[in-house]
Amino acid sequence: MNGWILAATLALGGGGAAVLWGVTTGPPARRILAQNLATSAVCPALLLLSQGYGRPSYVDLALLLALLGPVGTLVFARLLSDDLAGERPSAWGLTWTAAGLGLAAVVAACAAAGPGRAMVKLLVIGVLLIAGNVIASRALAGGFRRVGGG
Amino acid sequence: MADAVIVVTLLLTAACATAAVTQRDPARQALVLSVLGVVLAALFTVLQAPDVGLSQLAVGSALTPLLIMLSVRKTRRRGRSKEDRE
Amino acid sequence: MNRLRLWLLAVGGTGLAALLVAACLDLPRFGGRSHPYGDRAVHASLRRHIANTIASVNFDQRAYDTLGEMSILFAAVLGCVVLLRQTRDEHRAPPEPAEVARPVRRYALLVLPVALVTGLYVIAHGQLSPGGGFQGGVVAATALHLLYLGADYGALERVRPLGVYETTDALAVSSYVVLGLAGLLAGTAFLANTLLPYGTFNTLSSGGTVPLLNAAVGMEVAGAATVLLAHFLDQAVEIEDATEEEPGK
Repeated sequence: MNGWILAATLALGGGGAAVLWGVTTGPPARRILAQNLATSAVCPALLLLSQGYGRPSYVDLALLLALLGPVGTLVFARLLSDDLAGERPSAWGLTWTAAGLGLAAVVAACAAAGPGRAMVKLLVIGVLLIAGNVIASRALAGGFRRVGGG
Repeated sequence: MADAVIVVTLLLTAACATAAVTQRDPARQALVLSVLGVVLAALFTVLQAPDVGLSQLAVGSALTPLLIMLSVRKTRRRGRSKEDRE
Repeated sequence: MNRLRLWLLAVGGTGLAALLVAACLDLPRFGGRSHPYGDRAVHASLRRHIANTIASVNFDQRAYDTLGEMSILFAAVLGCVVLLRQTRDEHRAPPEPAEVARPVRRYALLVLPVALVTGLYVIAHGQLSPGGGFQGGVVAATALHLLYLGADYGALERVRPLGVYETTDALAVSSYVVLGLAGLLAGTAFLANTLLPYGTFNTLSSGGTVPLLNAAVGMEVAGAATVLLAHFLDQAVEIEDATEEEPGK
């Protein structure tokens, strides 16, 4: 067991437990926020695991999660916009903390990978992860108004 | 000690799956289900099955929630229009 | 009667539990060193110059199974299309356009091409790294639906001629079968990977027919997922019962 896997275990354990608690309790708004945080907690963990196992191709998992995780949150934000109408959930502190975790994981993985194509891929993942995280939070805080029948 | 990450993800998966079953409202179930999908993908990665993990991520993170939530929307709408008529 | 049923359940459950525990005790230890099946699969995969053993198992050693899985998906989507069709007592009402915040709309429109390219990348690298036709196809189909999330259903309908996707779906399934038959005509066996040169290890064109079968599955899955989602969206957004007076708010 090396430091990368230890860090991934901590991110998975801590982040996973917090997300599970958030997604099973409280009002709908909080549950969707927690669902969004699942992406931001597990995606850095996948990056760290790829480094820990020494298998660069595992990075594809993080790429897919960074791409599709926020899309999943947008699905909930759009189709549950009726439930969200009354409350404007905004947890910007939490959102930026999660973004910081993603940034730290990407920077660490970049430093280990060195310049090259692998680094470009890691940077793309980082941008997708952080932008997706922030945009999904924005969508929850009133991103979909008057969705109506659509 | 090396298996700690496997134990943590296994426990997390079991907890998520149980939580998904105990929820009553389908929309809330879908939320827990999407978290379960992400955790399951991490479990597959930890068990060195990245192909299965990728399938799980592709299907579980956006496609399944979209299908479930569209069905929920349809049934809710139909229920509401029936209430209006009565 | 009820009591008898419970007893039956209890006896059956206990029996099953006992058998499962007995089977578990006989399993090889977790994470052992000896993997007879794995070693043979890796050898077979390397002989055919396929870097990702899973792709070799799916599209070479067990290509026939994949044909079955593909037909299951095809049949399942066909069943859904029949079930979710517009019946006579339902009518279509175009939904009102949704009001989406500008950053969300921009994000959806920017990520759409990225997701499409990622889907194609995952399909094309199926025989080199984790992934393949199924995963990439789903990603590509999901990418299209960012238009629904970021704009509205009308925008998605404009870029999604459903007939094209239905045809793609059917064509992809038949091309898989045709690739299999080509092996038969070449004198070996159905779906045997002996048709094309194996190429250089760890390049996009390596692995004989594996990349082609991968592409066929990718096309099929992307078409099938799009058609499936289209019918779900139609039902949830456009089609209304005759009894529904006004569109749901």
